[in-house]
This record gives sequence, structure tokens and C-alpha cells, in this order.
Amino acid sequence: MKDKKELEQVTNCALCANMCKYSCPTYLAAGNETISPQKIARLIVYEEKGLLEDRKGFFEVMFKSCMCGACKQHCIYDDYDLRRFIQMGRSKAFKEGLLPDETKKRVETFMKYGNPNGERQLMQKGAGTIGYFVSCSAYKDKRLLKAMDRILSASKEKVQQFGGADICCGAPLYYAGDTKEFKKVARKMKGEIEGRGLKKVITMCPNCLKMMREVYPEVGVNLNVEFAHTTEFLAALLRETKIKVKRAKGTATYHDPCILANDMNITEAPRRILTALGYKINEPVYTRDHTHCCGAPPGARLGFSKLADQVKSMRISELKQTGADVYVSACPSCKAVLSDLGVKDITEIVSEHIIHG
Amino acid sequence: MTVRTWLSERASVPSAFINEAKRIAGKDNVSTKECDLIAYSLDYWMYGVFLSQYGSLPSLPSIVISPGNPEEIQGILKCANKYKVQITPFGGGSGVLGGAIPTNGSAILNLQRINRFVSLDEMSLVAEFESGIIGANLELELNHRGYSMGNIPQSLYCSTLGGWISTRAVGQFSTKYGKIEDMVLGMEVVLPDGSLLNIRPVPRRSTGPSLKDLFLGGEGTLGIVTRATVSVHPLPQLSSKQSFAFPSIEMALEAVRKILRADARPAVVRIFDELEAERYFGTKEVTVIFISEGEPDFVGPESSLISRISEQNRGTSQGENPVEIWLKKRFDIGLGPTIMQQGGIVDTIEVVSLYTDAVNLYKDMLTSMRAVEGSLLVSGHFSHFYREGACLYITFVGFPKDTYRYYEDTWKAAMEATLRNNGSISHHHGIGMWRMRFMEQELGKEGVELLRRIKTAFDPNSILNRGKLIENER
Repeated sequence: MKDKKELEQVTNCALCANMCKYSCPTYLAAGNETISPQKIARLIVYEEKGLLEDRKGFFEVMFKSCMCGACKQHCIYDDYDLRRFIQMGRSKAFKEGLLPDETKKRVETFMKYGNPNGERQLMQKGAGTIGYFVSCSAYKDKRLLKAMDRILSASKEKVQQFGGADICCGAPLYYAGDTKEFKKVARKMKGEIEGRGLKKVITMCPNCLKMMREVYPEVGVNLNVEFAHTTEFLAALLRETKIKVKRAKGTATYHDPCILANDMNITEAPRRILTALGYKINEPVYTRDHTHCCGAPPGARLGFSKLADQVKSMRISELKQTGADVYVSACPSCKAVLSDLGVKDITEIVSEHIIHG
Repeated sequence: MTVRTWLSERASVPSAFINEAKRIAGKDNVSTKECDLIAYSLDYWMYGVFLSQYGSLPSLPSIVISPGNPEEIQGILKCANKYKVQITPFGGGSGVLGGAIPTNGSAILNLQRINRFVSLDEMSLVAEFESGIIGANLELELNHRGYSMGNIPQSLYCSTLGGWISTRAVGQFSTKYGKIEDMVLGMEVVLPDGSLLNIRPVPRRSTGPSLKDLFLGGEGTLGIVTRATVSVHPLPQLSSKQSFAFPSIEMALEAVRKILRADARPAVVRIFDELEAERYFGTKEVTVIFISEGEPDFVGPESSLISRISEQNRGTSQGENPVEIWLKKRFDIGLGPTIMQQGGIVDTIEVVSLYTDAVNLYKDMLTSMRAVEGSLLVSGHFSHFYREGACLYITFVGFPKDTYRYYEDTWKAAMEATLRNNGSISHHHGIGMWRMRFMEQELGKEGVELLRRIKTAFDPNSILNRGKLIENER
């Protein structure tokens, strides 16, 4: 840790009564005190003081957080985010070569191909100063890409789509603790955006948005560009009647992607879209600032697939209880993870209701 | 350098026990990893928390076992009896008396995997939950469906239903909704020998002594509560907030006593002494806050009655603002960790007495606790009111040279003052490990002996939570 103040902050967390643990999806899904926020903080303090013998075990705990920000959302301290300290733990794990196997494999793929998917083609369509960045998670989903094409075509908006190949926001490296390579990727992305002359960048993936809007400046990469999430873009298209839609029937349950709700504070735009389409919204118990991660936030996938499965099963069961006609999210990773429930991305839902002409 | 333990050494458990535990609960749910042992070494007992910042923990468990259902708990307890392995149940780990500390290096039985909402019966106004559910999650489930259990302790966000039952817990809205013993209608309990007791939920029964009452306050020594059926209330349609300043604690207590005597049952009643009023509201006057809630037809008249009796007893209305401030601050425990990092210690003590003794008890406790060397602040409020008396809740802060001496002496001063003034040594935090030494003065030799016999009858091998509630070393 850089200074005494940082150690004091995380020690405050370690001495708290764990007042945020009820909100932590990994703790709730696994019922495991060790991965509850306050205990993670205690372990971080002990590691910092050199009190732990089992360093590998400590690093495993660092990779059992889904980094969703629920603890920050419900913290009794202002300006404190446990994830900053977990991130420090991850950086140490990376430096010491003690990453969990699953994370290690993802980093290796990234280093080989410049993205977490592996070999892929460059995607480039359209023109204009508004950019639509095709995230790694969206790249794999042809339906989703088609849906966005349809919307853009109907709206007549001039949008430049880009992604694929080795263009990535770098989130997988960031969450793996590889700060050095992440900075390089951030600078590369800055070059992509500036080279394309973009003034606004829209992302479908909440974590890409978080990286570009919040994390890049933290590592000294500043972009003079406006960033927006797809839901904000779609809500504006509907509000400004740039797309015409037919009325939907039935009920919809919206799953708030964790990063979108907790870090980007975007919870109302997707609901406005669904309401504008005519859906009655059935809220689950855990919604908006109480949302639960799906178990595989893009780029921050848990280092342990068994735990990720537990989180996923819990979320599916929570959503299922609403008995809605459609389940909707606004993150390509959430859509993929929650596929057992047939979750659709909100882009697909809007696309399905478009009336051309 | 490694983590130190200062209360008891980590015990070794037979490898045959570990293997059987893995077979029963699954190998992923049995751990001897250092991080897990550290995580389950301590609850929220403040002296333990104070020392934990220096890497000093009271006791590390020998093993952590996390069963996923009552059948697995049954298997683990049978196995513990077979190998004579001591078991410490661990709910939310929010207890403040060391009840979940794995003394003697026992095995931890983590109950947090058993944490689901089971059902809601809207006609009978009851809901069933697994015992490992955290209070806030229980309330979120109920609120979503238009109900509340009405048990809102300060530990709502980190304590479990099972923990509430085991300590006879109480929430901030208790004067209207009652205490945990008023709310639990039925429960399922795994007994120390591994058998399963099912107490079906009914409003009341006359079938001999109440069995469920053995576990309400049993502190995990007599059985493991695995699920419970509790009463629920429709969310209130109206909430009325009032506050009054009084010239003294005596007058405030007198007003509240008369309000309760007139059959008003506000959900929240709290009398803050001058120091606490200053800390919360920035005023130096004794302040009483009231929240009346429920059906509008009842709330209005109750509020009028509260207002009339308060004013007749020299109360001056302070409006809604103090209530709003309290509602915002009531879960904020942020100052404690900051004080502890500066070398101080902070803790709370809750006791109860009849109205006849309440004022003397308050004064004696404050005087006795302030006299302990190293004391910086002792303040109090009354909360949880009955027609007959009230709970007195004291907060103390010290910056002593010898933390343990100060902590022990302050507790001793508080407990002795309570007993001198005919009070009971605990209203709702329970006994755990720390308050156990005062049990004989509280219950008498006969009372403690009776509890010991009950314990022996239930748990002849003393497997469950040994060294808690009563001394039962063997």
C-alpha cells in the first residue's frame, strides 16, 4: 500500500461489523464468511502486515470477488471501495505468478491475440463521429450485432461501429492484476478512438464503459470523448422518436447488470425503454442498487468457475420468481451467463419491436 | 510471523472425523485453510475485534464445516459425538459477547449456506425462512411482498435469523412488534445427538413447557436451529414521527411509562440522555423520539395521546427532525473502528429493570463505569419499552493504558451496578463467553445448576458450543 492512510481505510473495513455482507452476491451464493467483504479486508490487512503463511490461499480469495461493487454501494464509509484493495492483492498475485489457473489462461489468450476471445476479425462499419464499440462479449453474439444493425439502420443515425481483432478495453488484464499491460491496452484504445475522430463512444458492455470512463483516467489515459451506454442511446432514440416501435404485450423482468447499476448508476434508462415499449415491469427482490451479479461480469470473471456457477444459479432463481413473460438485461455477458433463463439483451428487444419506415 | 491466538490453542481433530465430515458435507465445504480459519475465528465481541487489528485472535478453529441442509448437520453432529469433537455454530458472526468464538480450538459449523426464504402464508401472517438468512435479506424478501417481520436490530445487515433466536434478540421497533420470542411460532432444530426436532408453527400451545423457549436464548448450546416460522405484519400505511425534549431522564421515563400504561404501543421509543442527545441531535437536553405506525385509524389517536402525555409531563415538542436524524444514523457504526485504530476501545452494554429501579440503575451504572481508570465517555439511552420497565443501553469509550484491565473492570462495574439495582444483566445481546462469569449472580446457583442439567441431558458429551452461556467444562 502506498501510505498509512490506505492501511487505515482498509483496517476500518476489517474492524467493521460486515454491514454490507448481505449485499455481496458471492458471499450469499456460497454462504462463505471468508469471502464476505469485512473478512476479505481482514485478510488484506494481515497480508500487508506479513501475518499470512498461505499466500496462495490469500490470492485465491482475492480472485473470489466478482468485483461487482455491491459492498461499495452499501458501505457505511464514504469514499471507500474495497475493490481497490482487492485489486492491489490481484496485482501482487500477478507479479508473483500466483494467478488462479482459469485467470492465467485468460491472460495468456489475451497476450497472444490482444483480446480474451482468441483469433477474430476486425469489425468496421459506418462512419461519423459517434462510435459504437463492439465489446468482446458482444462480438461473439451475432444476434445482438444484427439487432444493433437493425436499430441503427432504422434510426438513420450516423454511427461508426468498430471492434474485433485486437481492439479491447483491457478489462480482463485489469482484473487479472496486470497493470502494466492494461495501461498499454488503454493507450492503444485511446489511439483507436482518437484515430477514428470520435466525439462520443457508445458501449454495450458495462465494463468497457467503466474502463474507459473511470479506470483509464486512473492510469493516466485521458480521453476527451463523451461515453454512453447502449441503454442511454436507445432511450434517447425512443424519446426523440428516431425509431418507431410497435407496442409489446406482457410483463418483463429487467436484470440490472452489476457494473451498470453499481458503478455507472444506470438503472432507469432500461426501465424507460421497456415501459416505452409497453411492457409491465415485474421487479425481482434484488433489483436496482440491490441487484446481484450474474457470476461472470465481463472481464472480471471469477477465477473459480464453481463459485461463478453458484452465483449464476442464485441469480437465475431470483429472477425466475417474478414469472415474467420476458427476461431482459443490458450486458452481453449477463445475457450469455443467464441463457438458461432465456435472457435477452435490451437491444434485441428494441430491435424486435421496430417498425420500419 | 503468523497470526497469534491468545485465548486457546487450535485443537487437532482426528483425520477420520475430517474424512467423514467431507463425505457428509462435500469436500469443498470442509476447510482447514488458513484464510478460512482466520475468517471464522471471531464474532463481533469488541475486545476480540480490538486485538484483531494487531493480528491477535482469540482462537482459531480446527476446521470449518459448511453444511448445506439439516440432514448434513445431523450427520456432522452424530460424527462429532462419535469422535468427541467440539462444535461451535457460526451464524452471521455479529454476536457481541463471543458466543461464536471457537474456544478450545473447536470445529466451526458454518450455517450461512442455509439461507433461503421458504414461504409466506398471507392468510395466517407467517413466513418461513432457513436460519442462516441475514436480517436485511429476510426483510427485503418480505418487503417485496408487502410485509415486514418488524425485527430491525442495529445488526440487521449482518446478523441472521438463527442468531436472533439463539440470543433472544430484539429490534429497534420492538415496543410495537415485540421481541424475537413473540415472533417465532415454530422451528426446526437439530439436537446435539443429531436427531431432528420439529416444532410446528401455531399461535400458542398448552402441551407442557414450551420447547421452543429452550432454543430462544440457547446460544447454540442445546441445538442448531435450521429453520423458523415467524409472524409478519403488512407494511405500515402511515408513520408518525414525534420527538420531545425533557428536563431530566426521570421526567422522560415517567412520560413514557404513562404512555405505555395508557396502552399506546409506538413502534419506536427511545430516551437519549444529554450526552447521547448531543451526539445524535446536537442538543444538550434529554430527548425522546417516537414512531407510531400502522393503520391510519390507529396511528392518529396514538400520536395525539403520546403528544398529550409528553406535554403534561413537561416535554417540549422537537418535531420530526430528531427522528429523521436517528433513522439516518441508526446503523452507523463507523466511529468504533476509528477509535480502535487510535488505541481506544468502545462497547455497549444492555440491561433491563422495572420502572421502579430504572433511574437508580441508570445513575449507578454511569457513575460506576465512569470511575474506571481510562474511561473517556459513558452515555446511555432507554429503548425497548414494556408496561413494566425498559431496557437501558449504555455505550462506553475508553483510552486506557491497559485495555484488558479497563475493559474487564468496566464490564464488572456495569454488571454489579445492574445486580445491585435489581436489574437483569442482559436484555438482548445474550451471554456468550464474556458475560458468563456473572450468570451465577444473575440466576443463583440453583438457576445455573438447572441450566447445566438441561445441557447435560441434551448434550451429554458437551459437543455443542462448550464454554458458552454457562461454565460446563468436563
